[in-house]
Amino acid sequence: MKRNASRLLAIVMCAVIPVHAADDPKQRKDLTAVIALQGLPCGEVVGYEVKGDNDYVATCKDGNRYRVFVNAGGRVVVQKQ
Amino acid sequence: MGARIAGALLAGLMTGCAGAPSTPPEPPVREAPAPAPPPSAPDNSDPRPALPPAKAPAASKPPAAPAAVPRKPEVAARKPEAAPPVAVKPEGSPPLDLEALEQRLKETNAIGLMTKLSLKNQVDDLLEQFRDYYQGRLKTTLAELRQLYELLLMKTLSLLQDGDPALAKAINGSREAIWAILSDRDKFSKLP
Repeated sequence: MKRNASRLLAIVMCAVIPVHAADDPKQRKDLTAVIALQGLPCGEVVGYEVKGDNDYVATCKDGNRYRVFVNAGGRVVVQKQ
Repeated sequence: MGARIAGALLAGLMTGCAGAPSTPPEPPVREAPAPAPPPSAPDNSDPRPALPPAKAPAASKPPAAPAAVPRKPEVAARKPEAAPPVAVKPEGSPPLDLEALEQRLKETNAIGLMTKLSLKNQVDDLLEQFRDYYQGRLKTTLAELRQLYELLLMKTLSLLQDGDPALAKAINGSREAIWAILSDRDKFSKLP
């Protein structure tokens, strides 16, 4: 039972890894700049979640949340959540 | 090809709210032109003297003599200074090395990957607008395109000015050179 439980836990953790909160100041700064370049209100990114490669959900100081990702065409897209 | 243009533009275009950054670099540019005026001033003065000489040559002699004395040492002192300004101008043109600017932009750590990509997107969009304009598919004016160019340049500079001031200065120094290419149909069409 314990073995199965630990295996199950490991699997769940692996599945969750792609989406996790992170706090790299450089990444926050990068996201802040990207959102600002799009002319969207944010102020400053205070936190973000990693959804995948070049795919983030950023939380701004003013409460706005944006999904920032690179689409198939190589364009940086910022979507308000 | 497009990447070079993008890099070049990025270099020039890089400016966010860089009203401030653009101001500092301008002074040096203005300083360079300042030395130039002296030579041009004499040229302008040439025509003027040509008119008055007949009127009062004697009157001009007295002031000219005293002025000439103090000016001689100044001229001597300025000679070496005059040379540097001339050298500064050529230095201003090198920033036109688009490949170098592009490379520096790619390598700078002042901005993140997503920001670089986003800037490149905007540069590509602007270049597309220029293409449409020259092909008559976009009804706009060169003045409006200039505004878009300046805005993008400001965005870029604002992003770089703190993290990589040298690159920001180089890009700002290439502002007019890049615009000279963009605003000229022939030069623009020759862009890689």
